[in-house]
Amino acid sequence: MKKLLPVLTVGLIMLIVVILFVSLSKKEDMITIYKGNIKKLPIPIKPDHINDTECRMVIHDTTYACEVIAPNGNTWFFDDPGCMTKWLETKPFKEKAVLWVKAVDTGRWIDAREACYARTDPTPMHYGFGAREKKSEGCLSFDEMRLKMLRGENLTDPRIRKKLLGH
Amino acid sequence: MNIFLSNQVLIFLFSETVLYLLALIAFVGTLQILKLWDFQATTPRQYALEKRAFLIVTMIQLILWFKILLLPYFAYTIDKLSLLIPGAMCGAGVIAANPYGNPLLLLKILLLFGIGIWLIVDREDQKAPDYPFFKTKFRFYLLLFVLLTTEYILDIVYFSHISTSDVVQCCSAIFGISGSNRIPFNLNTTSLVAIFYLLYLLTVLLALQRRPWLLFIVSLLFLYFGYQSVVHFFGTYIYQLPTHKCPFCMLQKEYWYVGYLLWSLLFGGVFFGIANAALSVMIHKTSLRLYRLAILFNTFFVILCTAYVLFYLIQNGVWL
Repeated sequence: MKKLLPVLTVGLIMLIVVILFVSLSKKEDMITIYKGNIKKLPIPIKPDHINDTECRMVIHDTTYACEVIAPNGNTWFFDDPGCMTKWLETKPFKEKAVLWVKAVDTGRWIDAREACYARTDPTPMHYGFGAREKKSEGCLSFDEMRLKMLRGENLTDPRIRKKLLGH
Repeated sequence: MNIFLSNQVLIFLFSETVLYLLALIAFVGTLQILKLWDFQATTPRQYALEKRAFLIVTMIQLILWFKILLLPYFAYTIDKLSLLIPGAMCGAGVIAANPYGNPLLLLKILLLFGIGIWLIVDREDQKAPDYPFFKTKFRFYLLLFVLLTTEYILDIVYFSHISTSDVVQCCSAIFGISGSNRIPFNLNTTSLVAIFYLLYLLTVLLALQRRPWLLFIVSLLFLYFGYQSVVHFFGTYIYQLPTHKCPFCMLQKEYWYVGYLLWSLLFGGVFFGIANAALSVMIHKTSLRLYRLAILFNTFFVILCTAYVLFYLIQNGVWL
């Protein structure tokens, strides 16, 4: 046993050093803004690498992700169309910004202003507005979604939730 | 409202003032003893010095034991102040209310370790018939007195600079998920917890092998990673909320004041882990009892942290 203890000690020290080195070698800072996107195309989102600018949550899942690109090429990322709408409202470039949203039905990046929004999707911030590329009955236009979002008429309101989902 | 109208602040500062005055008297006595002490002499002056030395050692013991008791009371005081300071939800906001709070807290913890070392050296000294560490412990007290003075000044400056009208940040903003307090070394939660348990095993192995210096280094690492693990992982199980990351809220009644026990076990374990290295420098001795206490405290700390996670898992069937 006495001979085993030093071996175990060295083993544990090496294991700790390896964990620390592996973690440090993977060092990647979280991104909240991407600069210089002059072409104004959607930037691929790497999961667990980018913070939502509005709610500050780390974007784990890109199913409902959105991006806002300012005229100067600055790009901000969001995990939920509701977050994008709330954040954009106070920005001076809100009319000129290019808005991209991931379509739930096709998985493609589409123009958020042209998308059709369902009201009861399980979005990360539980606002419920999931974008669709193909129009369907009962889905909302961008302006309708924006108004409902700003009025608080989304799934975070228990009355709306009860009305739309029944619970 | 003035912060000095708070009962807890008044009691705390009054206690600190009384203890500091006693420490000052002990400091003057210590200087005299170090200057004039001659153990071989049989003069009336030496006889008087020996009687005074006994008094001063008793005074220092009293001061230091009370200082140990005052650290949790300090935590209690800043926690209670969170009711008076806008924005603060617990001690985290109060400590961060001005730039003096965090250095003061760190100094108090450092002083706690120094006090513990002094008390152990004193105990070893009193056990021997010829008081072999008499001058060592008095010289060490001079260093402690410098720290006590700095601490007392910081106490006054800190409390006098807390505003009851300025808004401070709550713990969610300081320790929360907004990105300002990320896990160090780019670790994820799993790696952090793995390092926490590995360091614990390492402290046990080193204590069993009686390696004071390696244990000293590993205990300090255990303090750092233990703190980070509680804030980023175990604390969320205490609060039963994955987004609540705070080392102070657990000091509150809602969580059964478990923070006092948790932090006492961590500080105790780390103290006993580093004590032998300090003793080997100061008195060229180590103590088996200290190794055992290090294992005991660290083990209880790890069991307490793990129990919260396991109970949550058993009750709810999921991880947070």
